[in-house]
Amino acid sequence: MSKFNKIITISCLILFLIFLLFPFYWMISTSLKDMRAIFKLPPEWLPLNPTPENYVKLLQENYFITYYTNSIKVAFSTTFICMIASMFAGYGFSRYSFKGKNTCLMLILSTQMFPVISLLISLYSIYNQYHLLNTHFGLVIAITTASLPFCIWMIKGFFDEISISLEEAAKIDGCSRFGILFRIIFPLSKPGFLAVGMYTFLLSWDDFLYSITLINKDHLRTLPSGISIRYLGEFAYDWANVMTVSVVATLPILFLFLFCQKYMVAGLTAGGVKG
Amino acid sequence: MERILRHGISERIKDKIFLITILSPALLLLCFSIFIPILKSVYMSFFDLSLTNMTNPVFNGLKNYQEVLTEGAFLHAFKITVTYVMLIVSIQFVLGMLLSLLLNKEFRGRRVLRSIVLIPWIVPTIVVALLWMWIFQADYGLMNYVLMKIGILAEPTKWVADPNLALVAVIVAALWRQLPFMATMLLAGMQSIPQELVEAGTIDGANKWQLFRHITLPFLKNVIKTVTLVAIIENFKMFPLFWIMTAGGPMNKTTTLAVLSYQTSFIELDIGKGAAIGTLWLIILMIISAIYNKLLTEK
Repeated sequence: MSKFNKIITISCLILFLIFLLFPFYWMISTSLKDMRAIFKLPPEWLPLNPTPENYVKLLQENYFITYYTNSIKVAFSTTFICMIASMFAGYGFSRYSFKGKNTCLMLILSTQMFPVISLLISLYSIYNQYHLLNTHFGLVIAITTASLPFCIWMIKGFFDEISISLEEAAKIDGCSRFGILFRIIFPLSKPGFLAVGMYTFLLSWDDFLYSITLINKDHLRTLPSGISIRYLGEFAYDWANVMTVSVVATLPILFLFLFCQKYMVAGLTAGGVKG
Repeated sequence: MERILRHGISERIKDKIFLITILSPALLLLCFSIFIPILKSVYMSFFDLSLTNMTNPVFNGLKNYQEVLTEGAFLHAFKITVTYVMLIVSIQFVLGMLLSLLLNKEFRGRRVLRSIVLIPWIVPTIVVALLWMWIFQADYGLMNYVLMKIGILAEPTKWVADPNLALVAVIVAALWRQLPFMATMLLAGMQSIPQELVEAGTIDGANKWQLFRHITLPFLKNVIKTVTLVAIIENFKMFPLFWIMTAGGPMNKTTTLAVLSYQTSFIELDIGKGAAIGTLWLIILMIISAIYNKLLTEK
């Protein structure tokens, strides 16, 4: 590589990194500043007097804790249900052939195309009818199905890779169908499950539209809808506070990502590159 | 008969029961909260229905559709949506390709780099919206400061409140969140290109551009097709960024189909009309993806 080329490459990479990482840094940095430091021009690139004050204030606010626990509750339940349902369905689609299987798979994938809002209009009335409005159960069901189609496709890709001879051997040894599923297949596709779980958790943690329409009681709100209702004033924003909320809302996902990003990327690309 | 008696139930029936058992949880969930609501919403689009009066819907045929199509708001929103989708997907694709080519090079620390560039992608959309609103803030925002410092802007701009710039602000925020995913997927595709192919091309005297044009691109065709289609559909549906950053304003310059149908159904409470918008929107999406599939399979 010529020297000129090398310089171009490196500067392009640096520009990309600034664009992708600086805003993230700016969020954290803002959350550590006090009011005066925030409205200073030129801006303080590094917080000169970092203060935990914003965080302390945030954690003293009861409703914030409520939104947070609700989000955790909903995200974990969604992930759990979605993992089980997609594991089962993915296995069925991967190992059995039956009439209409391909149509069924296409239909499942095409649900990703549906505009969520037009679906919500009627989901709202159905929920109203079955008293599922303002319940976490209802919210969990709605988000689970939003995540299911992609998860089924992703996990099916993993099952397709596992050799069928293993199952046949187990069958000869007298293992039942569920036994094969739980004792042979599931342990072998751990990366796939982690990918599915992580994807669902992300999606659930990110959900705004379902929770803002299906829930209107403040103590039941999840983080995104809670934030939008509580922290978005019409004119004046308390930016330090807003950025602090943002950092804290990103933390769980960031930790999850740091722990299982390897599986996450593997899962997404396995599903996406083939699908 | 003898076999059935010997084994109790035959293997085939056992298989069938097993299959139904494992498929039904997912299928029931999908039916309950996707398929039935979609059908119901198409049905509702033929009724005069409001959120405050759900009990006695009045059938009014195609009146909702007529209203939606003649009022001009739908066409306007459609134009905005298409502009937004075309801009965000094409910019994202070009930059994503560039970034993945850069990350595909051999250098120290590229593994770490590949994972940290993914960070924006995990940031919750609402946080993305808030973060960029802060950066685009008129008086103390970083964007105005930097652009004025390097001489691009003469005076502070009210990005989100400026009719000509609000869409740009949303696109930048969307790009920030979506670019890492696009690049990661393309990179994964690039890494599955057999090295021998590239070597053979080099021996034949192909330059960098020819290698990219005749080996990388054709090899990536499927990945490109999947990621761009996903990006098109995702952005067609994009709601939170618009709702939080601009709420459709200023002067309806960022009123996309998603914003319009949310406003119609949940703010103006006109469910029938909202459902009609949704149905038209669904039809448009189906046509787009059919054309898209056709275009890419013909080649």
